[in-house]
Amino acid sequence: MFSTIYIEEEVLETSRVKNMLDRFPQVPRVVCERYGEVFNRKSQNFRLQKKAPALILAKKYGSKVLVAPDGYGYNDSRSYYFSHMLNCVYDCRYCFLQGMYSSANYVLFVNYEDFEEAIASKIEKNSGGGVYYSGYDCDSLALEPVSDFCKHFVPLFGEYPNAELEFRTKSTQIRHLLEQPVIPNCVIAMSFTSHEAGSRWEHKVPSIDKRLEALQKLQLAGWRVALRFEPLILDSQGLTPYESLFAQVFAKLDARKIHSVSSGLFRMPIDFHKRIVKLYPDEELFARPTTTADGMIALKSEDESLQLAAIEKLLFSHISPQQYYRCA
Amino acid sequence: MIKKFEKSLHGSESTPVNIVVAHALEAKALIPMLHLQPFQTTSRFVQYGNSNNLHLIVSGIGRAAMEAAITDLSQQQANEEGQIRAWLNIGIAGHSKAPLGSAWLGNKITCQVSGVSAYPPQLIAGIDSVAVITVDEPERTYPEDVAYEMEAFSFFEQATKYSTAELVQVFKIISDNLENPIEKLDFKNIPIWIRLLQEQIILLISKMSEIVREHNDSHRIPGVYRELCSRIHLTVNQKLQLKRLCLRYKALGLEADLESVISLAGSHSKQIISQLSAQIDRVGKQ
Ligand code: SF4
Repeated sequence: MFSTIYIEEEVLETSRVKNMLDRFPQVPRVVCERYGEVFNRKSQNFRLQKKAPALILAKKYGSKVLVAPDGYGYNDSRSYYFSHMLNCVYDCRYCFLQGMYSSANYVLFVNYEDFEEAIASKIEKNSGGGVYYSGYDCDSLALEPVSDFCKHFVPLFGEYPNAELEFRTKSTQIRHLLEQPVIPNCVIAMSFTSHEAGSRWEHKVPSIDKRLEALQKLQLAGWRVALRFEPLILDSQGLTPYESLFAQVFAKLDARKIHSVSSGLFRMPIDFHKRIVKLYPDEELFARPTTTADGMIALKSEDESLQLAAIEKLLFSHISPQQYYRCA
Repeated sequence: MIKKFEKSLHGSESTPVNIVVAHALEAKALIPMLHLQPFQTTSRFVQYGNSNNLHLIVSGIGRAAMEAAITDLSQQQANEEGQIRAWLNIGIAGHSKAPLGSAWLGNKITCQVSGVSAYPPQLIAGIDSVAVITVDEPERTYPEDVAYEMEAFSFFEQATKYSTAELVQVFKIISDNLENPIEKLDFKNIPIWIRLLQEQIILLISKMSEIVREHNDSHRIPGVYRELCSRIHLTVNQKLQLKRLCLRYKALGLEADLESVISLAGSHSKQIISQLSAQIDRVGKQ
């Protein structure tokens, strides 16, 4: 699963790290002082590291709960994100993480108690409320069997019923969620693209069927689930891929009980795009004509807004407009 | 398994790897093993190569010698095409208890003088790894459970200026330990140990080659680019634009169209670039 495990000296003797290491007796271990010595150094190559990623166990210093970027979620105010992990076990070609980091190794911050404290204090500053996203710099659930992340963080939100926790994921690692009591203020938001986009650009991601199966189990167990249809990469096939995707999704889930549904077009900071182009000069997606606005890059498309409206219309045949929001 | 790698090493596939050794005795066993021939150059460093693009340079002992050899070789190999090479340092090291002739990949290299560490990413499975400390004087007491040697840190630091860290590796062969101190090192053993490690060395070179080949393939610029650069005057900026356009045509599966667009555009650099841009914007839109 990992080519090497790097461990910061400071967390080497913690019981959480020892338990994690016990699970991988065969994987070579290297002790480092700070994770920055290994992660995101210049002259590293994200694409090559994806061939055999390493795990880095580290302690997070500094701010742990940050204001969510504009348009990240459905709630315009009091939205935050926290990242117990950097990078993702999947390999989606459109993923902005490739442009954000020069390293594809997974950094797992193991000082959960410090995160907990920071989250609790932020919730209290927000009079017990706010929306807290996990899964901005990683996939929230994909490393759950190793990290026990939701096992640890869901109960915290149980104590703050007016604060909402949203996991962004494409993972089917839901066992820990199913094993614990449901809390109504936790949302598991699963991302989907069309079958065609998935098979072209989403490597190592569980199939749509498997992801839907996981969502269905969660929904039946009483968890609130959400759907994120992004990034939408519009092409000559028009609406057909989305018709079949939506039909498949809503045949499996109880649409009325879905917390929220969103869609968003492919967008990326210009700098990230530049770096990704250098990594993947052979990738058709990044050779397409683009447009830029406000520091972001998008694929050039003449009838983008018409197509997006048509996709939304399709969605509204399954859900109510109140359940929907469009990502900026 | 090793047969397959050996075949790829001696077959027609390119092996864009630079091997750097400090000592001529380390080169001695590698030359026949890797089918290398003396490489004629004006460089002050002794070099060997083969038709598959495998290269070996003898740097001399110590950090400064290593740095100079890498700079020299990378200048000799400089290209505008973005093609890179892997770098592999093969050399002897001391360890408190590791048996003589055993060998490891370096997973952490610390410069004893500065205390700074570097971490070669470990992409290659199947070869054990160890931490390495680069010292300026031979280490006789081996206080830590690491391999002690004299060049790895400079090698890594310098070679990563010309390649990516994943493709810069050090392979250390134990030549001395507490029971067999360095003063008693019989230099004749060095080529023997290296010969005995043939399987691991070939595996390492083959796997590194595979990764470089894949990288260079994906970054290969269509030949039209070089042709145009030699035919017409292009500013530095225009070269960059042209390079990117050629790569986009290739990525979109339109490499074959490049020549016809260029021939229609005439011989003016600005016109060629704007024609290529206009055309790709038309066809590239999905
Ligand atoms: S699942 Fe999300 S975070 Fe992971 S690679 Fe894909 S887009 Fe990136």
